[in-house]
Amino acid sequence: MKPAPFEYAAPKTIAEALDILGQNDLDEVKLMAGGQSLMPLLNMRLARPSLVLDLNHVEGLDGIREESSGLRVGAMTTKRVLEDSDLVRSQYPLLWESTVAIGHAPIRNRGTVGGSMVQADPASEYPAAALAFDMEFVVMSSAGERVIQAEDFFVTYLTTSIEPGEILTEIRIPRLPPGTGWGFQELARRHGDFAIVGALATVRVESGLCCDPRIVLFGAADRAIRVPAGEACLEGAPPSEASLTVMGDAVFDAVEDPLSDVHASAEYRRDLARVLSKRAMSEAMSRAS
Amino acid sequence: MAVRIPNTLNELPASQPRFVGRGIRRVEDASLLTGRTPFIDDVVLPQMLHCAILKSPFAHARISSIDTKEAEALPGVVAVLTGEDVLRWSYPAQSAPEGWGSHCMATDVTRFVGEPVAAVAATSRYVAEDAIELIFVDYEPLEAVADPFEAMNSDSPLVMEDQGSNVMMDRVFNWGEVDQVFSDAEHVVREKFRWHRMGANPTETFGCIAEWSPLDLSITLRGSIQSPSMFALGRASTFGLPPNKVNVISHPHGGSFGGKGGSRGSDITCMLSRKADGRPVKWIEDRIEYLTSGGSQAWDRHYEAAIAVDADGIVQGLDVQLVDDIGATGDMYGAICAAKPLAAFTGPYTIQAARYDLKLVATNKLPSGPYRGMGPPPHFFVLEQLMDRAARLRGEDPSEFRRKNFIRSDQFPYTIPSGNEYDSGNYGEVLDRVLELSDYTEMRANQVKAREEGRLVGVGVASAIEPGVFDWNAYAIVGMQGTGVPEGATVGIDVMGGVTVRVGFALEGQGQYTLVSQLVSDFFGVVPEAVQVVQLDTQSAPPSFGPGGSRLGVSITGAVLGACEKIKEKMIRVVASLMQCEPEQVRLLDGKFGVEGVPGAEMTVPEVAGTMLARSDLLPPDVDPAPVATHVWTAAGRTEPDEEGRAKSYLTAAHAVHVVQVEVDRATGMVEIQRYCLADDCGTRLNPATVEGQTDGSVAQGIGAALLEEYAYDEDAQPLTTSFMDYLLPTVFEVPEIEKVAVVTPSPFTPLGAKGCGEGAIHTTPAAIMCAINDALLPLGVQTTEVPASPRRLWKLIQEAQS
Ligand SMILES: Cc1cc2nc3c(=O)[nH]c(=O)nc-3n(C[C@H](O)[C@H](O)[C@H](O)COP(=O)(O)OP(=O)(O)OC[C@H]3O[C@@H](n4cnc5c(N)ncnc54)[C@H](O)[C@@H]3O)c2cc1C
Repeated sequence: MKPAPFEYAAPKTIAEALDILGQNDLDEVKLMAGGQSLMPLLNMRLARPSLVLDLNHVEGLDGIREESSGLRVGAMTTKRVLEDSDLVRSQYPLLWESTVAIGHAPIRNRGTVGGSMVQADPASEYPAAALAFDMEFVVMSSAGERVIQAEDFFVTYLTTSIEPGEILTEIRIPRLPPGTGWGFQELARRHGDFAIVGALATVRVESGLCCDPRIVLFGAADRAIRVPAGEACLEGAPPSEASLTVMGDAVFDAVEDPLSDVHASAEYRRDLARVLSKRAMSEAMSRAS
Repeated sequence: MAVRIPNTLNELPASQPRFVGRGIRRVEDASLLTGRTPFIDDVVLPQMLHCAILKSPFAHARISSIDTKEAEALPGVVAVLTGEDVLRWSYPAQSAPEGWGSHCMATDVTRFVGEPVAAVAATSRYVAEDAIELIFVDYEPLEAVADPFEAMNSDSPLVMEDQGSNVMMDRVFNWGEVDQVFSDAEHVVREKFRWHRMGANPTETFGCIAEWSPLDLSITLRGSIQSPSMFALGRASTFGLPPNKVNVISHPHGGSFGGKGGSRGSDITCMLSRKADGRPVKWIEDRIEYLTSGGSQAWDRHYEAAIAVDADGIVQGLDVQLVDDIGATGDMYGAICAAKPLAAFTGPYTIQAARYDLKLVATNKLPSGPYRGMGPPPHFFVLEQLMDRAARLRGEDPSEFRRKNFIRSDQFPYTIPSGNEYDSGNYGEVLDRVLELSDYTEMRANQVKAREEGRLVGVGVASAIEPGVFDWNAYAIVGMQGTGVPEGATVGIDVMGGVTVRVGFALEGQGQYTLVSQLVSDFFGVVPEAVQVVQLDTQSAPPSFGPGGSRLGVSITGAVLGACEKIKEKMIRVVASLMQCEPEQVRLLDGKFGVEGVPGAEMTVPEVAGTMLARSDLLPPDVDPAPVATHVWTAAGRTEPDEEGRAKSYLTAAHAVHVVQVEVDRATGMVEIQRYCLADDCGTRLNPATVEGQTDGSVAQGIGAALLEEYAYDEDAQPLTTSFMDYLLPTVFEVPEIEKVAVVTPSPFTPLGAKGCGEGAIHTTPAAIMCAINDALLPLGVQTTEVPASPRRLWKLIQEAQS
């Protein structure tokens, strides 16, 4: 289990990194962040880049900043930093829950927020959180900077709308509106495993009725998905068991063709989407005001 | 010299043993915990090369051609090995049953995915892995068989063409009046069960460094090897060498659990070394290799079984039909796992008659191997499910139903229908203690409440026997030969009184070096830190098998105490001569030789040793001046198997009862273990801390077996679980706090009354958890018969029950 031969570059600045990208065949370059997904792929020779461009020494790509509209998280910020942040834990608890559900401590020590987003594993927590928060992705290339909305970022299995030659530099995470309740549910075979299915839910309750409900699933399709049909059932409905049942059935109908593998059949995943979205939304309702 | 080995702690020459029987700190830990213990991958030899192995991507294919030219031309490559070399230089491996062994590498046909097809020795593992990508193999795919029932059909593809059939063995064993007890029975409970393929996963995979000596055609093989002497015999047989030409140097290793098979890798590296003019060749099996082509897989079983219960609720008969999917060859010895249940076929119960209809079948999966427990764990899973069903049928509590079927403490030694003899036990006491520990009555009351709330809470009570101190005769029915498994140790005391014990096995994790130190310390009145345990290679060691089959604790105790006794006898003669008294007057106690009736006449053990080694002028003329002795211990009273496989085989029978509470999430099928309690009796606990460690680890593996671990294959025998992403081991998060209580019924037959306990809880845990899950599912009217009880399986069952 040793990687095929590759060249290695460790630029210190973004400009230098973009420069190196400019000089190489972009299909042959792999950016490396925490390496938690990339290194196994290299070792199993499933990824065979001719150049590995290590982002770990590039200045200015990590750290959390809070602004009035929300958080700005550098792409190279490790999950551990979010996990240890009081700000994240108290003000963005749904982001915090999504963080600590990822793997185990050693993986969160190295794995980065940007790496998880670009890896775009359909069973990964962060892409789902991105849809729950309407995060924005800042990417740089030799052509300059562009911002991609979460709903446009995740394309399909392991694929985002980032182009070769682009580097994700920052993730902007808006605050949820005041009074928003949230819920997080994930079913994994063991603690720390990739989810079989997971659900994030947010909702506000105004005058005793649900307002702006949002349901995001991971592990239920080729990427993290929102479930508008389920959300529609709740908008304006009372936060009750009956509403949840209607919502759950709508989620079940909406998840048409989930993955089937050794851990879960498609029909099991579909039913889990129903069960977990209900549980997550029920939590969200109880936290909403 | 005949020696008498103490059968109780009181017989040790210590007024009060200070170390044996106590959970003392392990002598091996300082070096392990500071990373100083040299594991095989730490070893670097001059001129060493590194091996990478090309594996078959097909479960069944004919190799039409192999082109190695480009690989050979790659800078850094020194040798390339293919089936042609292997045919020229080696024989097929020994196997059980006989004749089902293959060469270490496919020579014409590949029989499972992951079977070696070619190998490279190069200056680094990187280069070696680059090189195997430059070997071009033309395969002609053949139809593969992944299901043992299909494999038994006459039109099935043949895994080993020469055999003419995929059935490796098909025999029915009848012990007692089976038909009679079934026809007389008040109830017969019959069910099919499926135990999916799972197996050993030590922290460290297999690794070795082979050196072929072109001078005298001998082999030096270093490695993470569980059974060095057996490994030497295996290599000798592969290469047609006398066994004393193969020197196996086992290194400390990160566990084994039976998974350190490694024979293919070692044979390949031996031949690569031969091709590379004797340069040492290292191979470290990576985890994917281990999972797909190593010693990782065991127990792929399809059962149909029944018990016959009489009007009083006494189980009179057990009928077990087993179709065991052994995989592509018999050379990983998975078959002995099907034989071992004979050592405890009827568990802790007084069942009079039993039948074993055993079919071993070859398929195009990885050859199955041994795993902790060796085969009884699935067998007891089956028996305990049947016990629960019978109890339910009679409206009896499962714990009380078991109690009335237990062998009583006054019935020992007790011979079971399949021939083995249990040494001792107090099963009722073990049950009482665990019911007390778990507060069983309250557990049941809570369960009633939970059920009223619609929750699926279940309690499992399961009981099993752990046969200890394995013997080859237990595996006679699958063709293993011999009776007795000798274990030797050489104890020597130096001129300063330091004690060195030389043994034939490496550190593997169970703390046997600590045990050796404890024994010697109490025998000669020294401290464990003063005892040096040294491991010898197979060319230097006394006869030794090493760890395996819950034997080493008992066996090494016998060997060390035997050697100590022999030294004591020599010393007594020296002391008698010096003190001018009769040898019968000399007694060893607490490290001092005293003379009966002569107060103050004393010599310490170091004084006597010093005299023997440095004062020949004082020694009587006929005394052996060496304070050194070797003793080879083997279990007494073992018998030759009769035509029905019956023998006194495993020397000891440890016993346990586990009580588990689980909750099944009816919407997701996930199982949560809410409480785990157990009582066990493995006789005298030589080091209670070690026993506890073995128990905790074994419960963890039992939980893995019951809930998580499964090697899945598709219809074409392609493996689907090739990494730890898909083959799921329990982690600290899946293993609850284990509440334990001990009962001690010493064995009348063993050194210090200890029983084998290394394999331990895995005999009982899967059964107990499955009983608990089925108890939880009771309100839904469904029962699961498949291990592991993965959430998707339970979810499906619950769905079916609700629709
Ligand atoms: C045992 C284990 C368990 C795990 N469990 C989970 C889990 O439960 N949930 C989960 O979500 N993940 C899990 N992971 C994956 C882990 O979270 C990875 O860290 C993550 O997927 C990738 O982050 P990374 O920083 O390591 O990125 P890398 O592995 O370095 O890179 C991943 C990919 O992103 C690209 N990339 C990285 N950074 C950038 C950038 N700034 N711009 C453009 N492209 C970039 C790389 O080129 C590569 O293709 C697990 C991993 C392991 C080993």
